[in-house]
Amino acid sequence: MTSTNSALGKFLSGRGMRKLRRDRMALVALAVIGVYLLLALSVGVGLLDKGDVFDRAGPDTVPGAWGVQDGEKRLTDAEFYIEQVQRAARASNAEDSLAELRFGGLRAAPGTPAEVQAQVDDAWLAFDAVAAYEELDEDPEVASLLTTLEQKVEGLYAAPTGFAGAIHSLRLSLGTDRQGRSILFRALYSTKVAVQIGIVSALISVLIGTLLGAAAGYFGGWVDHMVVWLYSTFSSIPWIVLLMVLASMFRGGPFDGTLIPVYAAFCMSFWISPCRVIRGEVMKLRELEYVQAASAIGFGRIRILLKHIIPNTAHLMFINFSLLFIGAIKAEVILSFLGLGVKNEPSWGVMINQAKAEVLNGFFWQIGAATFFMLVLVLAFNILSDALQDAFDPKHVGSQ
Amino acid sequence: MWSYIARKLLYNIPVYLGILLFLMLALRVNDPVHAFLGKNATDADILDVRAKLGLDQAFIYQYFDLLRDVLTLDFSVESWTNEGLRVSDMLKRSVIPSISITVPALVLTSIISISIALISAFFRGRPIDRTLMVMAVVGMSVSFLVYIIFGQYWGAYLLTREGSDLFAIGGFEPGLANWPYYCLLPVLISTFVATGYDTRFYRAVMVEESSRDYITTAKAKGANRRKVMFVHMLKNALIPIITRIMTTLPFLIMGSLLLEVYFNIPGMGRVLYKAIQEQDFPVVQIFVAVFAGIFIVSNILTDVLYALVDPRVRLS
Repeated sequence: MTSTNSALGKFLSGRGMRKLRRDRMALVALAVIGVYLLLALSVGVGLLDKGDVFDRAGPDTVPGAWGVQDGEKRLTDAEFYIEQVQRAARASNAEDSLAELRFGGLRAAPGTPAEVQAQVDDAWLAFDAVAAYEELDEDPEVASLLTTLEQKVEGLYAAPTGFAGAIHSLRLSLGTDRQGRSILFRALYSTKVAVQIGIVSALISVLIGTLLGAAAGYFGGWVDHMVVWLYSTFSSIPWIVLLMVLASMFRGGPFDGTLIPVYAAFCMSFWISPCRVIRGEVMKLRELEYVQAASAIGFGRIRILLKHIIPNTAHLMFINFSLLFIGAIKAEVILSFLGLGVKNEPSWGVMINQAKAEVLNGFFWQIGAATFFMLVLVLAFNILSDALQDAFDPKHVGSQ
Repeated sequence: MWSYIARKLLYNIPVYLGILLFLMLALRVNDPVHAFLGKNATDADILDVRAKLGLDQAFIYQYFDLLRDVLTLDFSVESWTNEGLRVSDMLKRSVIPSISITVPALVLTSIISISIALISAFFRGRPIDRTLMVMAVVGMSVSFLVYIIFGQYWGAYLLTREGSDLFAIGGFEPGLANWPYYCLLPVLISTFVATGYDTRFYRAVMVEESSRDYITTAKAKGANRRKVMFVHMLKNALIPIITRIMTTLPFLIMGSLLLEVYFNIPGMGRVLYKAIQEQDFPVVQIFVAVFAGIFIVSNILTDVLYALVDPRVRLS
């Protein structure tokens, strides 16, 4: 183990790393990736619970904090808020219903059901006053009526203050989707899903690819033939078809609805590119003097492979990890769109897929949020991959 | 040359046999008949469907059955969801829609991205090069699906709502006259997305090529920069460029699955997607087997053409 560690240590303090550390863009990208990892980790340990991403946080398709709402939408939103309280106030056990009423951080204002009902009726009057107008956006008179209505609606609820209030405004800061769920919280939760999928599938793929590729390159002969046959086979099926066939393999099985079909599909199609690259690199390394020296000392072939050859492909493993991470995040979106990806959980793919219908109505908050969150992470990984390639693999086509 | 071709052919036979094996195993992890007929199917129904397709036989017999069908190009099996429709007809019908999107998209993408790459490589390191490359990287970081959604929204949906009938929101009609209406928008979206990837690759190829000795020689002999760029370099950069274009050819048949699904274009990608959704086992099996076959044949062709262009390849 110590020799592996020192090889990794050498890798981290080597020339490539020093070159990487001078690359300011790469450092920014690393910092961004670090923020995403922290975010994913804190969502993973319970920053957001299922209620935050599945329960209603407000009316449908509310635009975010700096979005412009037209009068029509403000009116229907007010109607929604009034109806919620009215339904609770008219329930058979009104007192309990009112106490239990909450969505997002809002709860009903304190008061007996009769008091609340009076407030509701008052709000309906204000509502009718606005609804009598046909054109809601031009007239300043209507604007003031709308403001009164919204004040009355606010009176129906006990707005959270302090920390809870901050959470509440955060919850609505990017608006709500078609089912009234918080877009920001769903996008944040999706970060966890994306990071999870990216890390698991990229890590396993790189490990499989490295082991098979290194074995093929080092041992040659029938091992090499087998590995080359295996990856030629997998890579002769168009990538998206392979993903679909693999993901649909699990349908109806015990793993349906979990992320396991996604992992399996990604790992089985992603191991090919690291395998190919590392096989080529190991074939070169095999002929170097230090490897011959090791075998002259009498080290076994497995030991040479594990301790002297594989650690020297670390840079390729890092580059491939970074590239496959991007691949996994993008492929997740496509698989989720095709109905074979993430289920029972929000993810950027699920969000973009749901946003199709909203886009047709001119509502861009959900697709925008998912795209932005994804863009920043993928961009950071793209920059990092380029920098890694520049630093460690200067001959690679694609570097400057 | 002939021995090279023979070697390539021999080498690819076990690969194709492997694909069939893997495909058949993957499709049998869940009993396809059970999945298709659902929970309420009677045992008699299940046995009947199974016997019809030969699924009750030993795996090895099924394997050779499929192999024989592929070798003789006999795809007369009927689809499960479209009764009476043979898979061979489905294949024939869906080729044209697929190709009418992918071929124009490939041509457009290649022309545009090679031009941008040339500009970028010519102005290497200058602001224009940097801007183009930043645009390419940022563009690559957005999901294809987002481009499709917004492309359809802006290109077709908004225009249609305003009364102009420039592009269809979806669907397909054969015929050249109908092509722009149904296919141009998907082609443009596909081109836009692919240009980002290809430009980066082509620029890298050209930058690599521009550091070779023959370029230094040409410059030393006094050839002007533009001539070195477009005459000496482009000619040599064409080899990797042609390789890249040729390696994308097999994917043309497959079509742009996402575009076809989103725009309701009845191409091969969409047919396969629907078959997977509806658990239409015979269609999935044969479509994937055919894709892989086409892929391998065109791979061999690419290798042979490449060997013709570059004699060094034959020796390795």
